Amino acid sequence: MTEESLLTINIEIPFPSNRTAELAYHVLRVDAEPKKTIQKEVTHKEHLLIVKFQGSSSKQLRVAVNSVFENIILINETLDAFGDSISETYTHFT
Amino acid sequence: MVIAIGFEGSANKLGIGIVKDGEVLSNCRRTYITPPGEGFLPKETAIHHRQNVLQVLREAIDKSGVKVSDIDVVCYTKGPGMGAPLATVAIVARTVAQIWNKPLLGVNHCIGHIEMGRLITGAKNPIVLYVSGGNTQVIAYSKKRYRIFGETIDIAVGNCLDRFARIIKLSNDPSPGYNIEQLAKKGEKYALLPYCVKGMDVSFSGILTYMEERIESLLKDGYTEADLCYSLQETVFAMLVETTERALAHCEATEVLIVGGVGCNERLQAMMHQMCVERDAKLFATDERFCIDNGVMIAHAGAEMFNSGTRMKWEDCFITQRYRTDEVETTWRED
Repeated sequence: MTEESLLTINIEIPFPSNRTAELAYHVLRVDAEPKKTIQKEVTHKEHLLIVKFQGSSSKQLRVAVNSVFENIILINETLDAFGDSISETYTHFT
Repeated sequence: MVIAIGFEGSANKLGIGIVKDGEVLSNCRRTYITPPGEGFLPKETAIHHRQNVLQVLREAIDKSGVKVSDIDVVCYTKGPGMGAPLATVAIVARTVAQIWNKPLLGVNHCIGHIEMGRLITGAKNPIVLYVSGGNTQVIAYSKKRYRIFGETIDIAVGNCLDRFARIIKLSNDPSPGYNIEQLAKKGEKYALLPYCVKGMDVSFSGILTYMEERIESLLKDGYTEADLCYSLQETVFAMLVETTERALAHCEATEVLIVGGVGCNERLQAMMHQMCVERDAKLFATDERFCIDNGVMIAHAGAEMFNSGTRMKWEDCFITQRYRTDEVETTWRED
């Protein structure tokens, strides 16, 4: 597959704080894409969560993007319901 | 002292529970129930879990009476199971672990069942029959692993029962297996079905196909639906008792423990009990609160792991649809 035929989608999601963006990054970064033909790269910068998708099939890309959006919504709902006091650091990464 | 919270969502049950040193503080559950004739599919099951998980979590914390700051470890089902529902529940576990700054542990679902069964019944070193909608295994412990002595070579026994319930359009509420069990009590006439034990392994897909293909003619021949539920139960449970008995004899064990959703079937328990009496062994089984998938079993197995020093790298807190029982080193067992 040539580089030209790859489709790329970049999304940037603003979070209420740098800490919540970082937290969401750690939640999302461990899950590999179920389809090997889709590359997903998660990063965070300040209060932004940045996700880059790459693949040759637009249908598979759409599924991957939708799935990440669903997960971000669930993370946000969890933060709303249980995030009254969020630990400033996570000390158990080992 | 260890307080652990467990998140389970590998199939159509969503469960969250909290344990404190083996004492169950809360055990909350929601089941995704499909209409008669329909099974549960990954996507819809994941949506069910997503819609309920935060409410169940709130309920589990409130009922337990513990402060989240007192929790020592957050546990979730790493696998085996359906991908989308597993992933949904893991997202919440990873989020709250970071909010509360608690270690996170992924637990093998089968190990959860075994350890929960041992905790509730007090069985020490039993031959384990693990029977559910997704798994059918005969297990014995040896040298830091739960070894699989025999298993299904195709579908799980619970899957066979569930799908038979769909053929005759039985309700899935509270569960298809429960409704088969009730109807089977009214059955009198035994229909001869294929009996598929292959050494220590069992096979159920052929029995299901046999039923699918002949249901019309069997009903015309004077068998009632109750007779067929009865015949199916007697046949598949006899297969399970036979393989369990062989493992029991081989290991010279004195205890049998039945776990998993099918394990709360009282007919299976009665047949197993009869075999145990004949062999001077003791049968241990639990009721639906702990047999059917729940969060407490994940919390308890996770607490055992945590107590014995197991820690997980964050990079490893993904989920996996395939995760065999014997992949886990049982660091918490000394025998």
